Amino acid sequence: MTEATDLAESAGDRDPRVGLRAVAALRRLLERLEAIQVRSARDQGWSWQEIAAELGVSRQAVHKKHGRQ
Amino acid sequence: MFERFTRDAREVVEGSVEVSRRTGADRVTDEHLLLTMLEQEGTRTAFTLAALGVHDRRASLEAALARAHRRAGLSRSESDALAGLGIDIDSVVARAEENHGPGALHPHPRRPAKRRRRGSFAPAAKETLVRSLRIAAERGDRRIGGEHLLLALTTAPGVVSEVLADHGATYQSVARLLPGGQPG
Repeated sequence: MTEATDLAESAGDRDPRVGLRAVAALRRLLERLEAIQVRSARDQGWSWQEIAAELGVSRQAVHKKHGRQ
Repeated sequence: MFERFTRDAREVVEGSVEVSRRTGADRVTDEHLLLTMLEQEGTRTAFTLAALGVHDRRASLEAALARAHRRAGLSRSESDALAGLGIDIDSVVARAEENHGPGALHPHPRRPAKRRRRGSFAPAAKETLVRSLRIAAERGDRRIGGEHLLLALTTAPGVVSEVLADHGATYQSVARLLPGGQPG
């Protein structure tokens, strides 16, 4: 690796824009992953209580968020 | 809000509701606005899209949108940002689709008909409509035409503006083709 690309990479590492964008993207990805896992669990007969326990949230929270799907 | 919209612009707005319905989406999004513009003929927007070569590359544009759908609606710059964290979005997509079927991560999954709130605009698409008003005001245009909606789409955060830019339509390239635009 040349010195120039090395410098460019370390500068990129410190760019908060990239880091923040990654966090926002990860959050959206997480939302989709949660939705498909919850639906899969419901399809396999899991109760809201069981799903909530695995997700580490209250039964009300998980039902409110996913109950309509 | 729509009093100052030209007939072309109204047709884009109304058409986008129809497109969203046809694709089974529960909300009207920026993508539906764009797809409607690509279906129009003879309007200033259609001319602009044709002049930029976007019209001819419609299949490629739709493929890019479909690719983003599979990636949970993430744009390329967002996917690159995730790669920076060590997360390969395409591996995540592959695993999810393996276990939960094609399009598992689609950001706007189809819902049963009775659950759909048909015809309502997603918050980001509402923002686009509002931004088109602001853009028209900035340009000193009294009426809001389809071209202002297109300009608004080129400045929307996310997939649509990125895909438009990849196909040659940026705010600058669109503005240049409109009356009063700077040549070259």
